[in-house]
Amino acid sequence: MTNVSTMTPVADQPEAPAKSGARLGLWLTLPAQLLVLFIALFPILMQVYISLTDWSPLDGIPWWRAHELWIGLLNYSDLIADSRFWGAMWRTLFVMAVCVPVQFLLGLGLAVLFVDDFRGKRVLYSTLLVPMMVVPAVAGYMFFMLFQSGGPVNDLLSIFTSDPVRIAWLSDPDLALIAVMVADIWQWTPLMFLILLAGMISVPQDQQMAAILLGASWWRRFFTIVLPRMKSIIIIALAIRVIEIFKIFDTLFIMTGGGPGVATETISVYIYKVTQQELIWSYVAAIALAILIVLSVVSVFAIKRMQRGQET
Amino acid sequence: MSEIVLESLGKTFGDFTALADMNLTIANGEFMALLGPSGCGKSTTMNMIAGMLRPSCGAIRFNGQDVVDVPMAKRGVGFVFQNYAIFTHMSVRENLAYGLRAQGVPTADIKKRIQAFAELLQLESMLNRRAAGLSVNILQRLAIGRSAILEPAIFLLDEPLSNVDAAFRAVMRSELKSLQGQFGQTMVYVTHDQLEAMTMADRIAVMDHGKLLQVGTPLEIYNNPADTFVAKFIGAPGMNILQGRLSQSADVASVGVPGVGSIPLSPALQSAVRQLTGPEVQVGFRPEQVNVAGAGLTMHVGLVERIGARTIVHLERGETTAKAVLPADVALPKAQSDWTFAVPQEDIRLFDPKSGQALKARTH
Repeated sequence: MTNVSTMTPVADQPEAPAKSGARLGLWLTLPAQLLVLFIALFPILMQVYISLTDWSPLDGIPWWRAHELWIGLLNYSDLIADSRFWGAMWRTLFVMAVCVPVQFLLGLGLAVLFVDDFRGKRVLYSTLLVPMMVVPAVAGYMFFMLFQSGGPVNDLLSIFTSDPVRIAWLSDPDLALIAVMVADIWQWTPLMFLILLAGMISVPQDQQMAAILLGASWWRRFFTIVLPRMKSIIIIALAIRVIEIFKIFDTLFIMTGGGPGVATETISVYIYKVTQQELIWSYVAAIALAILIVLSVVSVFAIKRMQRGQET
Repeated sequence: MSEIVLESLGKTFGDFTALADMNLTIANGEFMALLGPSGCGKSTTMNMIAGMLRPSCGAIRFNGQDVVDVPMAKRGVGFVFQNYAIFTHMSVRENLAYGLRAQGVPTADIKKRIQAFAELLQLESMLNRRAAGLSVNILQRLAIGRSAILEPAIFLLDEPLSNVDAAFRAVMRSELKSLQGQFGQTMVYVTHDQLEAMTMADRIAVMDHGKLLQVGTPLEIYNNPADTFVAKFIGAPGMNILQGRLSQSADVASVGVPGVGSIPLSPALQSAVRQLTGPEVQVGFRPEQVNVAGAGLTMHVGLVERIGARTIVHLERGETTAKAVLPADVALPKAQSDWTFAVPQEDIRLFDPKSGQALKARTH
């Protein structure tokens, strides 16, 4: 069946069976579609429901009876007034604002180096990807030890100073966040590198050749051909890292436990503490929903940009 | 404007020889086609002229100056890629401006030159369009314009019509030819399509297996192919090559094809066959030169293909096969019957049975 003849009025006829076929298809796939919808939507709806109550597992009633503890939007007004939440939020955004650009620039630089062939490339390439494969908890312990006041980081710094350096990285409220960010950059730059390298390799060779033949310098080619052509993949890489930073937890928790005080308490650590230590589940549901909304906005924005990028 | 001289040019990739001992002089303002089947070394040659590949041996001279060590950005060569390599993420204007900007031409000049070129190439109405959705002939014009705006002395085109459907190719061919007329640059055109080479080029260089086989004007190559490869490659269908034997009776030397018949040799060919050591020779004639009215050769008619203005007749006799191309207005032979025809003696070409080289002492 073809739609080539849509220029003529009779052409509507062949579409009729197609429509009823589509309807049959919808009925046949409906159970599966409902299941998928249920799996995706159920946790969110449950969260919305619980966030409007004062329910906690210690209340002795199952969650579906949480409406007995209905408090309306109280959790949300609490959230707006919760300075610890906002502190954690800003801290997370700060980590993001530092780590994502650093990881991006390092990853891009490495990708530029690795897009050409050189001796020992394969070995170096595999080595560079190792941090990404380290279990985050293990990475946490590694950096916990590296940043001890008698640890290797201070020893390294001591080379450049006359007195031995004895900085208490993880217990200094100003420095602990730096240590945590270093660990994140170490662990996740390889992912950025991997994605950006894949994008860079897929930039058509003849376009670059054409630019060279037109007399473009390396920098001009990089900024006018390579980067614009990598736009979609750059957006993907950045979106992945932005979302992942919101979820930063294991490495950080092992290194500092969110401390000292709340100095390294990011949003995930805060949620964990509220859930596990203070057991206010309904409040956590409200926080989680707030973050979900933020991340959805980020994702939608990224996808929109990407679609615009693909039109070119 | 530039003269290109290739001197004993060669390129090897490991054990594989892509090009061996290429000697070719392309005159200033000439349209030279490098013609040959895939893997014949024509693109390798082109890429070495452009500077994308470094020759393994030999020299490339532009106006007498060796350019082997000159990086490709500095050679002043315009290159049109097979798929045009248009920067599809930019507008038509930005594509045209790219080279000028890269060379630091002042913005006001860039504007003026783009305006002039857009008029020349009839691209004015789409200067601000994105290059992504443009049709192939506009892409081709843009690709040529993008290089030509820098006024390169040499223009290289790498099979620019191979992505275009047959009907459109004719349009693009004439467009390309008129563009070359306007710019007057030295053009090197790589193609595997003999029709493109024959219609556009001033001279054709036929290549196969990394070797340059013959250089000449389209008619020279068509009429006097240097060897059996060129003879069969040029023309559609190519030249018929039959295994023949020389015979001498009284004063007349003639060449016979077993079971088919024999043709007396022209005086020029009679002198040419003296180079041969044995009686074996390869006889060539163009399918178009088969004369229906004459007699002397008889072959069995297999398939008769009618393709409108002309008809291709497939002929066979034992191991020997040949084709004849007849105009529409002659009486066609019947399929599955014997048919007698002639080939004028001046249209016969002879080739060495071992090397395949044409026996010189040409009729023209």
